[in-house]
Amino acid sequence: MMYYAITVFVVAYAFIISERFNKTTVALIGAGLMVCLPVIDSPDVFYSLESGMNWDVIFLMLGMMMIVSVLRETGVFEFAAIWAAKRANGSPLRIMILLMLVMALASALLPNVVSVLLIAPVTLLVCDRLEINPVPMLLALVFASNIGGAATLVGDPPNIIIGAHQGLSFNTFLFHMAPVVIIILLVLIALSPLLFGGFSAVNPDRIADVMSLKEREVIQDRTLLIKCGLVMLAVLIGFIVSPIIHMAPSLVAMLGAGVLVLVSRLEQSNYVSHVEWDTLLFMVGLFIMVGALLKTGVIQILGHLAADATGGNALLATMLILVFSALVSGVIDNVPYVATMTPIVSHLAPTMAGHYHHNVLWWSLALGGDLGGNLTAVGSSANIVMLGIALRSGNSISFWEFTRKGIVITTISIVLSAVYLWLRYFVLS
Amino acid sequence: MRADEIVEAFPVVNIDSPALDAVRLLVDHRLNGIVVVTHASDTPYAVLPASQVVRFIVPHYVLEDPGLAGVFTESMADHAAEKLRGKTIRDMLPKKPQRVPVVDADDTIIEVAEVMSRMHSPLVAAVKDGKLHGVITASGLLAAALKD
Repeated sequence: MMYYAITVFVVAYAFIISERFNKTTVALIGAGLMVCLPVIDSPDVFYSLESGMNWDVIFLMLGMMMIVSVLRETGVFEFAAIWAAKRANGSPLRIMILLMLVMALASALLPNVVSVLLIAPVTLLVCDRLEINPVPMLLALVFASNIGGAATLVGDPPNIIIGAHQGLSFNTFLFHMAPVVIIILLVLIALSPLLFGGFSAVNPDRIADVMSLKEREVIQDRTLLIKCGLVMLAVLIGFIVSPIIHMAPSLVAMLGAGVLVLVSRLEQSNYVSHVEWDTLLFMVGLFIMVGALLKTGVIQILGHLAADATGGNALLATMLILVFSALVSGVIDNVPYVATMTPIVSHLAPTMAGHYHHNVLWWSLALGGDLGGNLTAVGSSANIVMLGIALRSGNSISFWEFTRKGIVITTISIVLSAVYLWLRYFVLS
Repeated sequence: MRADEIVEAFPVVNIDSPALDAVRLLVDHRLNGIVVVTHASDTPYAVLPASQVVRFIVPHYVLEDPGLAGVFTESMADHAAEKLRGKTIRDMLPKKPQRVPVVDADDTIIEVAEVMSRMHSPLVAAVKDGKLHGVITASGLLAAALKD
């Protein structure tokens, strides 16, 4: 059975990486084979705490997707982006920096793809009015999005997977991930004149154009905005106090989504408009395949191999996971990678010797998985969406144009992360 | 009644003509679409409905996020047609070649109406002996149907 499980998993993974077939179809066929062979059965899939479906991940993602569907209707993020651009008084560099901050904040609270879909059109609008090249700004924003998403439990799918698997709360994520994310973001902003500068001089008439944009017009339903604002605040408080009230973040998100649906009175087609059923089914397929590897002992063997390779040295394991995760996530989807690595790290962690912070390997995996998305143009879904928006606007960004900058930014991010992990969890721990 | 009897003489534009020329044609003759031909052939290459031309005065970022349509001042919005400057009709057509709404000159008005409704086109090109013979508009077709 072990060999069957390995064969199905490796072949399915190869098809997913090749991107020649729909990844959800491949994951579901792989899951179907695991069940039919039968490597894994119904009680394992649905009820096993170790090898079963991670319902927390599925429902947290579903809840957040529903919340986003309603939140998008308010126009609040477009408002914030135009407002920020106007505060920059028409200076392209200042506009870029303020939009990077808005993007990073939005990405910490919402899925990165949604943040890009909301803020990239505003960026194009501002660049069009200023008659400047939007490409440097779009690049800076998508890098900021991938960095910002790493800060919270709900910002990036790898964090959701790690958090749900390990029972890490919203606060724990924020406390351990946000500091390094803020440092990386500040360094990126400091380097942005070098990396993305060179904007042409802007005509004062064009600046006046930007200053006259009517940002209030994007908020078409103020009552909906107030209702959504209150519910979002309640959801955030729910995430923060979830360990105290003993309610998993997935339930907080689902309750928030339910309340939003009730108070917004939107049509069903609206409140499920941004639920990515495809992604949720992909996760289901992945969990079943990884569950089969767990049940047959493959993951345990990989965990032992990883432990042997690192010799029980926690610092070495931390750095290896960080760098390896960044490299792999730069070229393949970080969701299947982190879903596979999570149980391996779970088996690796107890083998580490000495006194070290017991969650350091998880922060290393999350940072590598999230920040690696900036490495290449295909490193994250947000990159692909941003490139599509740029292309449709007549400003195509080539794979190498993206990747040249991506390599620099990922290297800086990973070096800063490595220093942070070493200082915080080994030197100062 | 046959298509031949309800065809109208209609301006035809070349695919590489400036987009603004096509817009002027639509405006001057109050047309709901124009037939596009190529240098190489007299047969219709595409039918460009006015609604598709209108789409081109909407900035691409508003198409991405319709909520942004309201942020422009009146004077900015009044310059929307400038987006067409430098563009040709080829730029306004879909990248993938589309089926052209074409009928034969001896088709009945039911056949014409079927093509028009199936292809959601406000006008169809009528062809005789492989060459463009004229154009049938939705209003011309309905007028013919009422006459019967």
